[in-house]
Amino acid sequence: MATTTCRSFQEQFEPGSNSPRDVSVQAHLRDCPACRSFVEDLGSIRAAAIELAGSDPEPSAQIWISLRAQLEQEGIIHGAAGKGWFADLFRGHLGALPRPVLAGAYLSVLLAVAFGLSGPINSRINRQRWLDGTQSSTTPLSAQLRSFENDSLTSRPDTDSPVTASLHSNLEIVDNYISLCQDSVREEPDNEIARDYLYEAYQQKADLVAQLNER
Amino acid sequence: MSTTQFVSLGFNWKTGLLAPGLLLVTSSPVFAHNIEKHFKVEPRSVVTIHNPNGKVVVKAWTKSEVMVIATHTSDKVEVDAEQAGNRVDVTTHQLSETISPEDLRADYQINVPEDAELQIHDDSGEVTVANVMGDMNVETVGAGVDLEDAAGYLTVKTVGGSFQCVRCAGRLEVSSISGSFRLLSLRSYHVHAQTSKGNILFDGEFLPNGIYRLKNYSGVIEVHFSPGDSFDLSATSLKGKVNNQASLTPPAHPDRISKFGNAILGTFNAGHAKVELSSFDGTIKILKRD
Repeated sequence: MATTTCRSFQEQFEPGSNSPRDVSVQAHLRDCPACRSFVEDLGSIRAAAIELAGSDPEPSAQIWISLRAQLEQEGIIHGAAGKGWFADLFRGHLGALPRPVLAGAYLSVLLAVAFGLSGPINSRINRQRWLDGTQSSTTPLSAQLRSFENDSLTSRPDTDSPVTASLHSNLEIVDNYISLCQDSVREEPDNEIARDYLYEAYQQKADLVAQLNER
Repeated sequence: MSTTQFVSLGFNWKTGLLAPGLLLVTSSPVFAHNIEKHFKVEPRSVVTIHNPNGKVVVKAWTKSEVMVIATHTSDKVEVDAEQAGNRVDVTTHQLSETISPEDLRADYQINVPEDAELQIHDDSGEVTVANVMGDMNVETVGAGVDLEDAAGYLTVKTVGGSFQCVRCAGRLEVSSISGSFRLLSLRSYHVHAQTSKGNILFDGEFLPNGIYRLKNYSGVIEVHFSPGDSFDLSATSLKGKVNNQASLTPPAHPDRISKFGNAILGTFNAGHAKVELSSFDGTIKILKRD
């Protein structure tokens, strides 16, 4: 009988099923505490997701329309025939948001992207999917960050304080790491460690640009 | 709550009077404003310090009192120290729209009760804290941070400033972009240290059930261990090297070792603590303590 390793078990395991069909996989699950814990964790997450979905139903479209109207009225976002304010975030309306909102929004988007990606990518080892997933999530993010950076830097008077100089020089360092990490992810799309480093570098960049903007 | 305050405003002629020749070429004399304030506080008081530029030295003492001594030379800044309940807020205010970094400078010497909680923001200059056991949050841009004999929940964030912690205990979370860290004689049960372009030196105890995560992009991560230590080790450098002197028992699940980069996984003695070292293209050294 072919032995099953943790990696092959986790690749073959279907999160929705209660018990694996393959006998060798069943045997591995019986003998391996780590994989048992893995399956239990997945079960808990699934149960929590079902509970969450039940207790927190999707709000109606009217709520989003009202919310958008309210934000427009308060001048936080500017009106345009849109499909939702989240989509607008990526269409250049971020410049209209107050700075703390901006910084928070960026970080939220970054985190959402990072966590959103980790699910589907962990479940299947597929280089093309990794690459597509990473590119589709990081390309708009990268462009948006660059645009935010340009807007913030050009709209501010030049200051020659050592603190601002330090922020700029550290921004260069982070940009360099983003570039290195992007190369690494392109070379090895399924390299989770490189992806984590890339996301963290984006977070650092968002943080630095927000700090520069506050000055 | 009783509050005792006294303010002494001294003008100490620093230069000019001692060197008459300099007066001829100096348009305005330079003098220091010295301010001293005292505040009675209850146990577990909170002290917040917001200073854009300058040296901040905080030391614990046995009195139930916070003492603030501030010095600044420019008239373009003002130092404020106020009490609100059991909290003392110390702030350097900018009085002019345009101000040079040197004019912005204010130095503080602050004494606090041992159990005080500190929140310090100092963009550039230097932060030194000694013997304070309360929780602490320090944020700087370029200022270096030096903690000694601190405990509690310590969070330190710098952009380029270095960080040193000697004989610290409790929980430590430190992050930076280009600052280096030196964690010496540590007795922390939770250490999370992350810098991008900086070195990390860890020379402390690995406490049972402790978690020690050290991470950078480039630079050197150096960890020292003794023969009696007990930890599970995971060390990965994606593009760099891992140099390990610990004799490790291989893991029960060797397939958990990352297939990317250079990685070492194993258990030293009983594996009571968890040590995770990660670098993008830096070098990781796990060295026997001398």
